[in-house]
Amino acid sequence: MDTRSKLRKGPSFVPLILALLLPALMDAQIDRTQAPKPGPAPEVKLGDHKTFTLDNGMRVIVVENHKLPLTSVQVRFDVPIFLQGDLMGVTDMTGDLLAAGTPGRTKEQIDALVDGIGGRLSTSSDGLYASCLKKDLDTLMQVVQDVVCHPTFPEAEIERVRKRTLSGIRSRNDDPDAIASEVGHMLTFSRGYPYGEIATERTVGNIQQKHIKGYYDRFFRPEKGYVVFVGDINEKEARSFAERAFGNWKAAVPSGAKDKSGVEVVEGLGTVRYPRKEPVAARTRRMALVDRPGAPQSVVRVVFPVQLRPGDDIAMDAQVMNTVLGGGVFNARLMQNLREDKGYTYGAYSNLNADRFCGSFSAGASVRTPVTDSAITEAMFEIERMTRKGVSKEELQLAKNYMAGSFARSLEDPRTIARFALNTYLNDLPQDHYATYLKRLDTVTVDGVLHAARALLVPDQATILVVGDKESLYNRLTQLSFDQRVFQFDEDGSPYREKLEGAPAGVTANTVLDAYFKALGGREAVEKVRSVKMVLSGSRGDKPVTITRYNAEPNKYASETVVDGRLEEKVVLDGARAQRIGEEGTEEIIEMELEDLIQAAAPFPELHYNDLGIRPVLSGIADVGGRKAYKLTIATDNGGVYFDYFDVETGMKVRHEERRAYDASGITVVTDYQDMRPEGGIMFPHLIVEKKLSTVAYAVSEITVNGRIDASVFTVD
Amino acid sequence: MTTIAAQAQLREIQFTEFDLDNGLHVILHEDHSTPIVAVGVMYHVGSKNEPDDRRGFAHFFEHLLFEGSDNIARGEFSKYVEKAGGVLNANTTGDRTYYYEVLPSNQLDLGLWLESERMMHAKVDQKGIDTQREVVKEERRQRYENQPYGSILIEVLKRAYRKHPYRWPTIGYMEDLNAATEQDYVNFYKTFYVPNNAVLVVAGDVDPKEARKGVEAYFAPIPKGRAIVRPNIMEPAMDGEVRDVVHDQVQLPAVVEAYRIPAYGSPDFYAVDMLNRLLSQGNSSRLQTNVKDRQQKALYVGSFTLPLEDPGLSIAFAVANAGVPPDELEKAMDAEFAKVRDQIVSDAEFKRLRAQIETEFVTDNGRVAGIANNLASAYTFLGDASMINKEIERYMAVTPKDLQAAAMKYFVPSNRVVLHYLPKTQQQ
Repeated sequence: MDTRSKLRKGPSFVPLILALLLPALMDAQIDRTQAPKPGPAPEVKLGDHKTFTLDNGMRVIVVENHKLPLTSVQVRFDVPIFLQGDLMGVTDMTGDLLAAGTPGRTKEQIDALVDGIGGRLSTSSDGLYASCLKKDLDTLMQVVQDVVCHPTFPEAEIERVRKRTLSGIRSRNDDPDAIASEVGHMLTFSRGYPYGEIATERTVGNIQQKHIKGYYDRFFRPEKGYVVFVGDINEKEARSFAERAFGNWKAAVPSGAKDKSGVEVVEGLGTVRYPRKEPVAARTRRMALVDRPGAPQSVVRVVFPVQLRPGDDIAMDAQVMNTVLGGGVFNARLMQNLREDKGYTYGAYSNLNADRFCGSFSAGASVRTPVTDSAITEAMFEIERMTRKGVSKEELQLAKNYMAGSFARSLEDPRTIARFALNTYLNDLPQDHYATYLKRLDTVTVDGVLHAARALLVPDQATILVVGDKESLYNRLTQLSFDQRVFQFDEDGSPYREKLEGAPAGVTANTVLDAYFKALGGREAVEKVRSVKMVLSGSRGDKPVTITRYNAEPNKYASETVVDGRLEEKVVLDGARAQRIGEEGTEEIIEMELEDLIQAAAPFPELHYNDLGIRPVLSGIADVGGRKAYKLTIATDNGGVYFDYFDVETGMKVRHEERRAYDASGITVVTDYQDMRPEGGIMFPHLIVEKKLSTVAYAVSEITVNGRIDASVFTVD
Repeated sequence: MTTIAAQAQLREIQFTEFDLDNGLHVILHEDHSTPIVAVGVMYHVGSKNEPDDRRGFAHFFEHLLFEGSDNIARGEFSKYVEKAGGVLNANTTGDRTYYYEVLPSNQLDLGLWLESERMMHAKVDQKGIDTQREVVKEERRQRYENQPYGSILIEVLKRAYRKHPYRWPTIGYMEDLNAATEQDYVNFYKTFYVPNNAVLVVAGDVDPKEARKGVEAYFAPIPKGRAIVRPNIMEPAMDGEVRDVVHDQVQLPAVVEAYRIPAYGSPDFYAVDMLNRLLSQGNSSRLQTNVKDRQQKALYVGSFTLPLEDPGLSIAFAVANAGVPPDELEKAMDAEFAKVRDQIVSDAEFKRLRAQIETEFVTDNGRVAGIANNLASAYTFLGDASMINKEIERYMAVTPKDLQAAAMKYFVPSNRVVLHYLPKTQQQ
């Protein structure tokens, strides 16, 4: 019942007091079926800032706002990017150590001073940020001045920070988001560009005090510095604080020395290579993988570099485009598709980063492992769709309104004005860049957005990084790659190398195989096996699958796969020739595939390795399902290679792994053997798990050793 | 003390409040510095109101309440807000669920309409339920399962409580969400999403008189619900230390110490909260200085208070530096807990502690979105919105002796859960 009907049905006699209220109530009548109309749009006022320069070239920016009795001060140096190489991490370590000691104060004294006034102080590779109640600003500025102008980087503190940084690297390697971020940057920009470098235990181990001091002396310089005051402070006070703190600060002029090839040499730090070329996107779409065994989710990132600087004409169109694609709004396409329609993820986003050195694009989500490939397909679909068709008028309007709203909301924090001012200087933007923001935003059109999408998005040259469970994902990712390849990396971005434990002395491929025969029931017993029939039952989705398989001496093999009551495929090898019979008819199996069939036909092919001249190689000890297993690498005559894994304790074969060179899909088939129990005196697996694109677990319902097999089973037409 | 009191008065958040006949409590705060307005509704329902076979339901329900209403089609809720240039979100704790929008100030009515629709006749279809169930599962995987040490809260809660619903996390358990039926949704909505179980806050660039008119127009027609029956489960005191090992996908071991503490709002709560600041807030705090910097036992260390309506927890968490065994790290942490029990805090430290609280108090109410949330919380849990201005007095009333007494009472081994997180590779 709504208000209106209540009033209509009310008594005809209206008391005076109610009559007085009536107009107000009438006003308040609303139509619930429609969204209310907005009132006149409020004016968004951009607060202003004051700025001046100290004699030594340091620029001071002041944003006055007395709403809270709080003042913040930021000191920022305009540091160019350069390759840190073998010292990767030196800039961050310098930042971590900036407040670790001065000639007059130890780190603990600095901390006590800041905490004593309830203040904050955080330092970074290009400056610091500090804040406190206005009444304590004098104390805070003494610390800020000391830390910025006279850091001593004490050896003991360097070792302390080094220890923590090294632990931090390990901790980073446990965190899938951190891995995705680091390796994602490496893949976006490449290792040869400063933004693509990753600190490792080795590079952090190389950093010495002289490097840190060298970096500080070269780049923390007044003429490259900004001091930004925000909050409860006026220009006059700011000038006085800035003069007292930094007015007399002089830094030695950089020597400008160069080595023979013209590269700058900085005292202490060594050669400093500035990037000469901008990173470019990969030539073709590629897949990259960092393995996180057993991870319930995959962190997916689609990345490439973009030529986009904050002041570019295209920058506003580009940001509107990204907002529609996945930049923060809930109604963005990636969020609506991957979350609200498919339920693949808690959140999917894209990020288009304009940067004065090199911009970048990144889109992604954390998705549950089994839908990783579907999620990538949908994300790529959205990126491609954006380059083909751009955005609708409705989407454009939503994005523009949202961005205008965000702009207004950001102004609630006085630090925003300071950030605008600082950005204007650092990025060399027109002085009215932010003052005209809303006006420029308003002029963005669907055509402009489409143009920006086509100019910046390169889905066919994207690198798709997945941090997730390799065992479930590898084959599926292969299918999404343009070249059927998946590039594997370690957590620190270096190319993946399998980490195998060395086998103990005395263990060789032959002793592993001997142990295997022994575990099966003894070599003699195994040699007596002439044929094995196995019936496997499992299911694909909700369809039952039954496989009947015969392996017999010499070189005979047959398998029949029945799915949901229908024969799907039959493979027969009669000792020399082989055929595949499927729904599309019969085909002859030839060449490499035939050779592989023959090689694997025997009930226990390992018995024939010697005769065939196959020499398995013991590669080491691997982890198979949480247990240790010897890994044998077996190269076959026809140039193929496969791997068998034998449990270190039981001796039993627990896994077979192969990728067939002639299979264009590039799929690796992994077969696990479990639940070993004896049949006719020989141990056989009673659970066989096969992993291709999906995983199927087969229960072994029948095993017949040396049974009577009708000759027709092995007959090829 | 005088400065703080004076400052507090100067910076007081001004507001007006009233009740609608249906029991909805309304708080209005006027601030014209930026042309935006925050509209927030706090429902006094969280995971502690769930039956023990519907764990996670309150939070799941929060997701469903973005699906639409009689007058808002599926997917349109957020569209209205974003089209208007606003943002929206919600969050759930053990005790309450909070929904909010921040909009340009000329869109206040839109915010009121959306929130009143949500309260009056929210609607959700099967596609919405099925999709959000998957989304919540992904949220759980992302936040708790696929994060190093992400399971800490889950592992702590199930050992720290035996009876109280705090024993399960707000995110809940998937089997319970899978088991939920349509009737569960209807019941939960009818029981808890009623005006007499909510507080509405409007904060920002608004004229309170106009705002009040809008509030009445949109919310007055919503019928009052039945009185809320709240869980009255007294968790018995811990009868000794609980200790366990959790294996996780991590390289560095971690130590968690969770102490049972009194309810949010009680005098002892403030003492415990101050102890945690003494222990871990700022570089010169005790755990940072001693465990992290001087002894270099930890890569990271912190100690936090969980402010819960019923007796909650204080959780200290430290990640060991490479090569430091967890026992050694625990010993170093315990030494700091022993020190707050054995020695009274020095004047200098106590002064520092109060200075930190003072600054935080000033910083806390810098934005209208934060003010709206703080007003709603103060009303819901402290029974008085003006606690947004006065809560600092409770901190300032705590003496060094109170701190020591609280440490001796709560920060004792028999009152805690200790977990060692070890690398999975060390399992077996």
